[in-house]
Amino acid sequence: MSLLVAERLSKTYHASGWFRRQTAEGSAISNLSFTLEEGTCLGILGESGAGKSTLGRMVLGLLPPDEGRLTFRGEDLYPKGRRTRRSWRRDIQVVFQDSYSAVNPRMTIRQIISEPLRNYERQSAQEERRTVAELLELVGLAADDMLKRPSQMSGGQLQRVNIARAIALKPKLIVLDEPVSSLDMIVQKQILHHLRALKEKYGLSYLLISHDVMAVHYLADRVALLEKGTLVDTVDASEMFESGHPTFRAMMQAAGVE
Amino acid sequence: MNVLLRVLSPARRRWALILALALLLAIVVCGLLAPYLAPHDPNLVDFAHKLEGPSSDYPLGTDQLGRCLLSRLLYGTQVSLGLALLIVSSCLVLGLAIGFLAGYAGGIVDSLVMRACDAILAFPSLILAISLIAVWGAGWKQMAVALIIVQTVYYARFVRGLVNQLKQQTYIVAARVSGTSPFRMMSRHIVPNLLPPLLVVVSLEIGWVIMDISALSFVGLGVQAPMAEWGAMINEGKSFIRSHPRLMIAPGAMIFILVALLNVVGDAVGERKGAGSPLRKKAKTSGLLETANKEVSHER
Repeated sequence: MSLLVAERLSKTYHASGWFRRQTAEGSAISNLSFTLEEGTCLGILGESGAGKSTLGRMVLGLLPPDEGRLTFRGEDLYPKGRRTRRSWRRDIQVVFQDSYSAVNPRMTIRQIISEPLRNYERQSAQEERRTVAELLELVGLAADDMLKRPSQMSGGQLQRVNIARAIALKPKLIVLDEPVSSLDMIVQKQILHHLRALKEKYGLSYLLISHDVMAVHYLADRVALLEKGTLVDTVDASEMFESGHPTFRAMMQAAGVE
Repeated sequence: MNVLLRVLSPARRRWALILALALLLAIVVCGLLAPYLAPHDPNLVDFAHKLEGPSSDYPLGTDQLGRCLLSRLLYGTQVSLGLALLIVSSCLVLGLAIGFLAGYAGGIVDSLVMRACDAILAFPSLILAISLIAVWGAGWKQMAVALIIVQTVYYARFVRGLVNQLKQQTYIVAARVSGTSPFRMMSRHIVPNLLPPLLVVVSLEIGWVIMDISALSFVGLGVQAPMAEWGAMINEGKSFIRSHPRLMIAPGAMIFILVALLNVVGDAVGERKGAGSPLRKKAKTSGLLETANKEVSHER
């Protein structure tokens, strides 16, 4: 069974108000389908405005599609009728682009990483300390860093903290929304390396949403090209550079690959 | 920025603030220790000594019923500050709850709550308070409830606006994804980030509420005789404005000094807070966040 299946998703943004007629503002996503197999990384490559972030929010369970179905391990992410406790909530986690705004500036690193743990697991203070220390070491930070606050860390370090928070619950799927786009080249490489290592180690699956051709090539197994809210081409990452799709070629040219 | 402070250099401003805080503390302490500091019972009528000037026995003299003016001022501090704190803290709690509900739930709940608030806001607040008291009858309890009702609306609107801004922060979205319940979201993420800007409002608001209490008591709708309250004291003294103006000047000066001090402190707190505001726009926003923003702007 596939981990995540999207079937004919559509989402339209429209303006509405008491004194305005409803007017269509164009669709963010239309008729979009894909399949993500367990233990793999699907890269969603697209330019700005292609609908990448809308797709990310849908997969996270934050934005119901107007039409279509999203199933995670056979379970509908947006079931009709009564709202039940979402069993998949802890299995889908996220890493955002801007590492600074993704953490509450008033909390310590320990509090940030332990938040998902406290939501789902009952750990003593000592166990929690140990878990947070392990997570920090997993992402290449020191255990002592848990005492720091976000303002005392660099963007790259904070992105590692965000990754540690995302893997804290040992989820099945992590949505990576432009995870390295706001970091410099060297840090980008380190973070991508860690992400790949974590994927191998825990059998994680990633949905990598990015406009960065090289990042997608490095991390993804399959690559889907998103254009104007729909997937226009899907290829294996290894065959990415041989793809004949014009948008693919244009993005690669812009990235200086060709 | 307060005119009182604007003319001063930063270093002197600091001293002005410290001085204001010290004076404020002194007034609070005097109010709390009124039973020990007051030379006489504030309600003890003594016609033999009515309308006497300052003396060693009566430092500020006596009023038309022979009551000690200084004692009444001291006890009046308890009433004014106590009532103001009661009203402002009630408003704070209610406003937080209502504003959070509206801001966090959004949609139809938000619309209903906010339209109800607009309806109350459509009236000048003091006039609305007076009409509520007119229905319930005069008295300090009725006045407190009336003021709470008309003031809470401002707090609710303010909180709702802050919650709406905070709700779009990426870390709130991240917390939702990591399974944080609405209650924990409020206690761990929203309220800690709401409190600093709210405290600024509160510190300024206390002064305004003291003015409202005095105004309502002056026209006889709030604190009733014989309870010592500054506004009520001004009212009682107004018949003697020509012969014994100190009966009005003393409580009037107290109101002026207390409200001025609260304004100075409130402004200073507001200025200090600016640097660490959680609502300050960060340079970059995440892709998902932009989508959230777009959604909200389309809803409006």
